[in-house]
Amino acid sequence: MFLILKYIAKLLKALSSEASPNQLAGGFILGMIIGLTPVASVHNLIILIIVIILKVNIGMVILAFLVFSGVAYLADPIFHSFGIWMLENESMQNTWTNMYNNELWAITKFNNTVVLGSFVTAVLLCAPMFPLTKIGVKQYRAHIHERVMKTKFVKALKGTKFYSIYQTVVRVRG
Amino acid sequence: MMRIKGIVFLVIITALGFLISWISVDPMLESEIEYQASIANGALVEIDGFDVDLIDLKIRWDRLQVANPENTMTNSFETGEMELDFLFWPTWWERVIIEDVILKEFRMDTERETDGYFEIPEEVKNEEQSFIAKVVVDVTSEISRNAQMEFTDIKTNINVDSLMSKLNLQAPDKIDSLRNGLAQNYQKWDSTLSNTKINKEIADIEKTINAINVKEIKDPKKAIEAIKNVQKLVRQADSLKTRAQNLKKDFQDDFGSSKFSAGRVDNWIQADFQRAMNMAKLPTIDPGNIAQSIFGTNLLADYSGYLEYVAIARKYGSRLVGEDKEKIERYEGKDYKFSDKYDWPKLWIQNIDLSGETKTAIQLAGKITNISSDQKKTKEPIIFNLGGSDDSNRSMTLTGEFNYLGDDPRETINFTYDGFGLKGSKISPSELLPYPLKTGTGEVSASVSIIDKRFDSEIGYKAKGIAFDFGQNPSKNRVQQLIRDAVSSTDQINVTALVDNLNGPLNVKVRSNLDDLFVNALRNTVSKEVDQARQKIESRVRSEIGNRKEQLLAFKNEKEAEIRKEYERLENRVNEEIKKVEEKKKELEKKKKELEDSLKNAVKDRIGIDW
Repeated sequence: MFLILKYIAKLLKALSSEASPNQLAGGFILGMIIGLTPVASVHNLIILIIVIILKVNIGMVILAFLVFSGVAYLADPIFHSFGIWMLENESMQNTWTNMYNNELWAITKFNNTVVLGSFVTAVLLCAPMFPLTKIGVKQYRAHIHERVMKTKFVKALKGTKFYSIYQTVVRVRG
Repeated sequence: MMRIKGIVFLVIITALGFLISWISVDPMLESEIEYQASIANGALVEIDGFDVDLIDLKIRWDRLQVANPENTMTNSFETGEMELDFLFWPTWWERVIIEDVILKEFRMDTERETDGYFEIPEEVKNEEQSFIAKVVVDVTSEISRNAQMEFTDIKTNINVDSLMSKLNLQAPDKIDSLRNGLAQNYQKWDSTLSNTKINKEIADIEKTINAINVKEIKDPKKAIEAIKNVQKLVRQADSLKTRAQNLKKDFQDDFGSSKFSAGRVDNWIQADFQRAMNMAKLPTIDPGNIAQSIFGTNLLADYSGYLEYVAIARKYGSRLVGEDKEKIERYEGKDYKFSDKYDWPKLWIQNIDLSGETKTAIQLAGKITNISSDQKKTKEPIIFNLGGSDDSNRSMTLTGEFNYLGDDPRETINFTYDGFGLKGSKISPSELLPYPLKTGTGEVSASVSIIDKRFDSEIGYKAKGIAFDFGQNPSKNRVQQLIRDAVSSTDQINVTALVDNLNGPLNVKVRSNLDDLFVNALRNTVSKEVDQARQKIESRVRSEIGNRKEQLLAFKNEKEAEIRKEYERLENRVNEEIKKVEEKKKELEKKKKELEDSLKNAVKDRIGIDW
């Protein structure tokens, strides 16, 4: 509970002015990839390592992961069909066979229709989603942030004991 | 841009992961391997000093002990230090592929410090007995049958009264019970035939037919109406005939089974007689029985023991075939295969180089190749080839193939053990040959071929250059003395046991070069006594059973004749009734024609036109 509140608070803080839009957008697209693709995949382990190493916003990663997991639940049949189309594509057969025969590629489970379909979709979505998120963050700061801070949810959040403890911890840590 | 804390966190997590797997992989794997192997073996399998090296990709152990399920205080075999290399990538697909294993200090029949008993889980215990396991049971029962035969203790003065009182004949009770069953059956048919509704319906038809007085019919319309009624009666009578025929069919079916039951009487009498013979311990003196009694016990006991290992191999060889059924679930996606590169079995030990020694100190060496959980994936059968010898020219070879590539599982095994000394040993546990040998060498060979459920095997035993140590005094037992005289002239014994089911049931035959010597010796003396005793018992058994069989057959014939007669009476009545109805119908049709003609003539007369 404390961890979730911590990241919600961090996210709100980051959205207000603390973090750069690039860090937020980076976190968003990485969370989106994890959310859209099957969680127990080797590529998600690599993305998780990137999240830990790079200074992307973890709150944003969690938010995107939660949102896109729901989207993926509905979109899996489409990913499956997209994966079939790619894996059965005549012109790609040599590539797939070479990749399949290479153990490093094989452990990524790229030969699974949902894994490939969702991963390619997620990567393709990164291109528009990264600049769109940046624009969204700027728009949020300019027009929405004040209103969000006045909502009952945020006020209630600030009123909780956990939040005051968190604030104290943040102050102590500097 | 980079999170230093994040990198530190990752390093710590990775180190922790390695540490935990380092500590937990060995005991987890060791305990799982020991458990599964113990189930397969039926007794404890223990590995000491087990170590998995995830960096060098090696598995090592200091000692492996495989307890003998028949005697859990000994090991079937054990090995010393062992090291094997496994391939890294297949482990990602949960497959264990081992290229080379070197097994040193392989030793058979070693003593254990602790009991190797293993409680097999209930679900495994309840598994259906395999074909080979059934063969083992059959061979074992053949061994115990041999053990019951006594040739040396044939009694000429058999107390038949005492024997019969102990025997408790079963055939009389069975015959009486069969008779009661038949009586009930006949009673049922008696009552069926006398109470059948057919009789009443015949009477009703007859009444209706008799009520139709053709002479009184003056009107063609009435005649047509009567014809219609009679046609109904025709249909009713036809239906009665069908019902009567069905009754006859049921009756014949029932009597068919009764006939079969009566045919079993001879078998019951024969079984009682055989039990009496067994109780009197009267053997059948023929070459097969004698050889089986002398040499069969040892040969077949060893044979069934080794066959159990084949049963285990087949059980696990065929159980794991097709283990990787493709699972396709919606939205979990479908895995495409672009080559058969990862089509590995769950376990594949490609080569085992084995060396060690037997309990009798023969230095064994050889190879076992392609042990796998699914031969259809490796496309290779299990092949083993072991052999060795010692300084005193004893040699042992074991070769074979377990092939589960085709639709029918096939196993072939060839074994030879040659040159072992027989001095001081007894050639048979039978009382017929209780003498130890002064000299001689032995040779055992066995070949087994099993294709699905067709089984063919031959076990050979040769004792060469033998001389028996008969002791100083002649044997007091007459039969033993005869056997002694017979074998003293030979210096070689050849025994062959054939176990097969090529013609259906399991067939066990044991033959030796001494058979004729023994048979001649026994036939000239005890054979007459055995025949006399046999006749005594047979006549007594038959007199006890008395003429029950004849009475039963007479009762059966008499009752069947009665019922048949009753049925024929019923059938005749139905036929008669059909005839009567047909006649009445004809009469009515004739009457109808007469009435119509007379009507026509009357009309012609009136209008004066002839047409």
